[in-house]
Amino acid sequence: MLSFMVNQRLIQTKEPPGMVLLEFVRDVLRLTGTKEACREGECGACTVLVGRPTEAGSVHYDACASCLVPIGDVEGCHVLTVEGLELDHAASAGRSESAVLKPLTLVQELIVDNSASQCGFCTPGIVLSLTGFALNCDGLSLDDAIDALDGNICRCTGYVAIRNAARALSERLAGLSGELNARLPALVEAGVLPRYLLNIPQQLAEAREQTGQVECVPTGKVVLVAGGTDLFVQKPAALLDAELCFLSHRRDLDFIKEEAGELCIGAAVTLERLRRDPLVAKHFPSFSHDLALHSSTILRNKATLSGNIVNASPIGDATIMLLALDAGLSLQAADGSVRQRKLREFFLAYKKTDLQEGEIITAMHLPLLAQGERFSFQKVSNRVTLDIAAVNTAMRLRVDDRGCLAELAISAGGVGPIPMMIKGLEPLAGRSIDALLVEEVAKIAFDAAKPIDDIRGSAAYKRGLLGQLVRAHFAGYLQAEVER
Amino acid sequence: MKAKAAMKNDDMLMHVRGTSRFVDDIPAPEGCLHAALYCSPLARARLLELDTAKAAAMPGVLAVFTHKDVPGLNQVGHILKDQPLFAVDELEYIGQPIALVVAETRRAAYRALKKLEARFEELEPVFDPREAAAKGMLHGKRRVLLRGELDEAFSRAAVVAEGRLSSGPQEHFYFETQRALAVPGEHDTLKVYASAQAPGAFHHHIAEVLGIPQHKVELDIRRLGGAFGGKESTAVWVVAPALAAFLLNRPVKLFLERNEDITTTGKRHAYEYDYRLALDADGKILAFDVELFQHAGACADISPAVLGRSLLHASGSYSIPNIRIAAQSCRTNIPPNNAFRGFGVPQGSLIIEAALSHAAELLGVEPTWLKYKNLLQDGDVLPYGVVIEAGTALRCWQTLDQKVDLAARLAAVEEYNREHVDSKRGLAVVPVCFGISFAQTALNQASSLVNIYVDGSVSVSTGAVEMGQGVNTKIQVIAARALGIDVSQVRIDSTNTSRIPNASPTSASTGSDLNGMATKMACERLYERLRGFAARHLGVPDESVISIRDGAIWVGVRRAELSWEQLVKAAQWARVDLSEHAFYATPNLYYDLELERGRPFAYYAYGTSLTEVSLDCVRGTYTIDLLEVVQDIGESFSVPVDRGQIEGAVIQGIGWATLEQIRYGKDGRVLTGVNAYKVPDIKFVPKHFEITLLDQSQNPYAVYNSKAIGEPPFIHGIGAYFAILHALRSVRRDKPLPPLPLTPERVFMYLHEEP
Repeated sequence: MLSFMVNQRLIQTKEPPGMVLLEFVRDVLRLTGTKEACREGECGACTVLVGRPTEAGSVHYDACASCLVPIGDVEGCHVLTVEGLELDHAASAGRSESAVLKPLTLVQELIVDNSASQCGFCTPGIVLSLTGFALNCDGLSLDDAIDALDGNICRCTGYVAIRNAARALSERLAGLSGELNARLPALVEAGVLPRYLLNIPQQLAEAREQTGQVECVPTGKVVLVAGGTDLFVQKPAALLDAELCFLSHRRDLDFIKEEAGELCIGAAVTLERLRRDPLVAKHFPSFSHDLALHSSTILRNKATLSGNIVNASPIGDATIMLLALDAGLSLQAADGSVRQRKLREFFLAYKKTDLQEGEIITAMHLPLLAQGERFSFQKVSNRVTLDIAAVNTAMRLRVDDRGCLAELAISAGGVGPIPMMIKGLEPLAGRSIDALLVEEVAKIAFDAAKPIDDIRGSAAYKRGLLGQLVRAHFAGYLQAEVER
Repeated sequence: MKAKAAMKNDDMLMHVRGTSRFVDDIPAPEGCLHAALYCSPLARARLLELDTAKAAAMPGVLAVFTHKDVPGLNQVGHILKDQPLFAVDELEYIGQPIALVVAETRRAAYRALKKLEARFEELEPVFDPREAAAKGMLHGKRRVLLRGELDEAFSRAAVVAEGRLSSGPQEHFYFETQRALAVPGEHDTLKVYASAQAPGAFHHHIAEVLGIPQHKVELDIRRLGGAFGGKESTAVWVVAPALAAFLLNRPVKLFLERNEDITTTGKRHAYEYDYRLALDADGKILAFDVELFQHAGACADISPAVLGRSLLHASGSYSIPNIRIAAQSCRTNIPPNNAFRGFGVPQGSLIIEAALSHAAELLGVEPTWLKYKNLLQDGDVLPYGVVIEAGTALRCWQTLDQKVDLAARLAAVEEYNREHVDSKRGLAVVPVCFGISFAQTALNQASSLVNIYVDGSVSVSTGAVEMGQGVNTKIQVIAARALGIDVSQVRIDSTNTSRIPNASPTSASTGSDLNGMATKMACERLYERLRGFAARHLGVPDESVISIRDGAIWVGVRRAELSWEQLVKAAQWARVDLSEHAFYATPNLYYDLELERGRPFAYYAYGTSLTEVSLDCVRGTYTIDLLEVVQDIGESFSVPVDRGQIEGAVIQGIGWATLEQIRYGKDGRVLTGVNAYKVPDIKFVPKHFEITLLDQSQNPYAVYNSKAIGEPPFIHGIGAYFAILHALRSVRRDKPLPPLPLTPERVFMYLHEEP
């Protein structure tokens, strides 16, 4: 029996944990405001907010693609669908245009004011994404609002009006507290959210007392879900009947800390949390931008670094970034024993890794950059946002006191069966960083690339592109040196 | 009228709450079954044997239907009867329906699909439209539109631009995939709720396949979650569940999963082009000779009509005294392509724009200058014989130029390109001249049923289908205006074949022109009738002094003590008919297919746009920086709706021109599912996107001076192709024009691959 809340209702259900939330709200609860349009997290029509209790006793809401969130994952959580946004009549007297309909929330009102809805099929998702932005975005700038909408496609392509609505929202929310915990009451007062949300933390806590803590005990048979944004695209039917456990329930693995010259990232940390973490921003300032290219907000709110690695896609963005950083992995066996492995040793063949039966990644370790060390990530995809790269590559480069090359590591995706390191760069140590060196490295990379023709591009394109992206790595480095 | 033009689409109030009902949101009737299609896995084959027994024996499965179960005609062909609902023995494309599984749940239906067993004899497919043309595999005849003396004109040319080009397919990606719910009623009747653009045609298809009279079928359409033409002609996904519901006497729902929809439904047609354009030394177009190869797919569907529109628009917005346009609809083994916003006009407009860009290089002038020099003016004759009158092509262009200063913009781009190696900029000006009316004259008809109820509220039914384009909003404004009441008194009812029979599809941007005009006519008759009654009721001898406005009755300038509601109530009691049906057929339309001459369009929609881009030469990527659009929309019923239509059409057009690429496997399979077919997202849209509505525009040919808006602005989207091309040609010109869409891959290869 699974227990969670949807809007104002406490749900107890015997539906399988692998049933996706979208199916549950539409077909079981018959809440049809959440729309199905792709089932692969590509469109955002099914966006809902998932509120997870925090240790501090509040509830943290993230906009998620409900087509890729299994209901087992939201156990003990609060799910907010568009139906749950109805304000009380008393909440904003006089704003309602009809005696029958309850008043619109501020987000809904601004979408209507700006005519930011045409056929309407994407609209509930956009309402929820913008509401999620109001709830959990530190900045509340227009750019932040647009980031929040990066997974919401509107095929009527009414983006100018949607952007206008987002701008109006950002302006209306300006001055709201940056402190997220303090924000909820303010958002209720501003008519962004219904009042009952204030009671949700307590209701969830009471429900939890009855049902007990949610556990995540991985064993050999159990499928471990580390976000699931790829898993539930690949085999949703098989997962419906599978035994699952969810990393999102492992609070002990939800950490980011600095330790012994490394940044340690727990396996349960989502990409979006990583992207916004101050410690990450301090040591790897480009991550905020680089990780935004990985997917969309509604996917990054679920997707994890560990999942990206275990998925072993030859083109995973986060994997490519970590490879060049020479990240390490902590791997924990079912008996609790832990071994360490370098990421570069982890990928054995196409979609095959060194992960043993019953073993999970518990943490990733990113060596901090030394003095004179630089990191660069490059990706080209058909569409810039929410698209799989044709080629991606990361470079870590360290110069010595004389300004000569001390160490060079380049990873590349989309050019072979596994996320790979470009080999044969060691002899270049000691060289000065000039056009000659750049061309030599580009040629080594070009020669190392063994891409295939596929839907991301022709082999010739990907090979040529890798060479160009290596040049772009250095151009960025040299530009930064000039600016220094 | 100005105040009314701020009218918004009031469906939005439901959209934001998630309460608007699309087909799958209608509460499923008791005992509703689910259907799934078993389709051909091969592009061309003979079906030797189909074993349905295992699938039929699966848990939860009620039936597996094939062509043998069709009680009526096994046909859903739209223009030609060449498209069986279920394949009999010939398989002509991957995704062609063979059988329909009906089960208690959707999951059970999909599970059972895997248990269907078939044997095939594989045959050699054809995927290349030029090859199909060479083999004579065509839908219909090759059409040739000829005007003037081609050979003589080419002999006088200062330059001749000659080449080939191709443009790619485009997936509709309407958010609501193809779907329908069919519910059987008493007396062998059937009610079908569908996501469909063509109520009349689909209604007919259902009855024909079931072998029952149309009066036993009621097709009801509330709204579509997007359509863009993709729900206009191919009726399979509406007819198939109707058949199952009819045969099983149970409600049946069918809806396609996203990737099923992408891989098995029609798309915008890819085209191949051969062109020759002659200019004199002053840059005047002397002659244009073009051959269009339309990649139509396995069945005619609506392709010949799309081809016709390409043919009629291949001269773009330009005056071309000598022209030959030849066009062939090529039969190939891919799913039959169909209508998509613009309906062949984007493809037709593209080739003249490309030829002009090419010719400008040869003459050593700017394409912008060349286009302006040849822009259509009053008195110019279009290839099929229409003389331009009251055209606004020039005024749109000049309005744009005044706003942005094209010469200065061009100079800035050139200066940037001189100073930069690794990045370039480009711009393109694209004029639009888009004929409005169905080119098929017979389709230019519509009717409207207006009911006034005793409480004063008004219900309007038309054949128009709301799909987010705001046609209901416009009709609501028209009805309110014609009756002299507030829009809140008017509700637009669903599109229903029992109220409005034989309706033309809502397409060709004619939805509000046709249905709005019929509504205006019906409302005007009611208005006259009520005015006459009001005169008698008020004892005013001269009814011409009576008027109804703002929901009140006026005698001259004096407001009578009689509200709209009171008037209606009294009229009903006095046995006055408060219901009216009106019919509108666009006058003076004709076209002779033998001569390729006529007046196929009621009027033309004009516009001009500027597109600016930045090109990253290192990575082969680009961004669209700026869009400035001037569009002639006449007098708008709703500026917010019309702006939304312009913005949406332009961005969708840019998608076609840049990102949206379908890749096929060697076997003809569509490889680009939802995770690879990328449409524009919010970050793709340029930060600077401004629209100027042409002022003081008149249009006597449409209802209340309005102008069609759904499709014409799509053409501006090709400006992205030409702006990127401009930047690319500043790098190198030793290659022919690259194909459309200009994806980052193609841009990269253009820049970095040796010719």
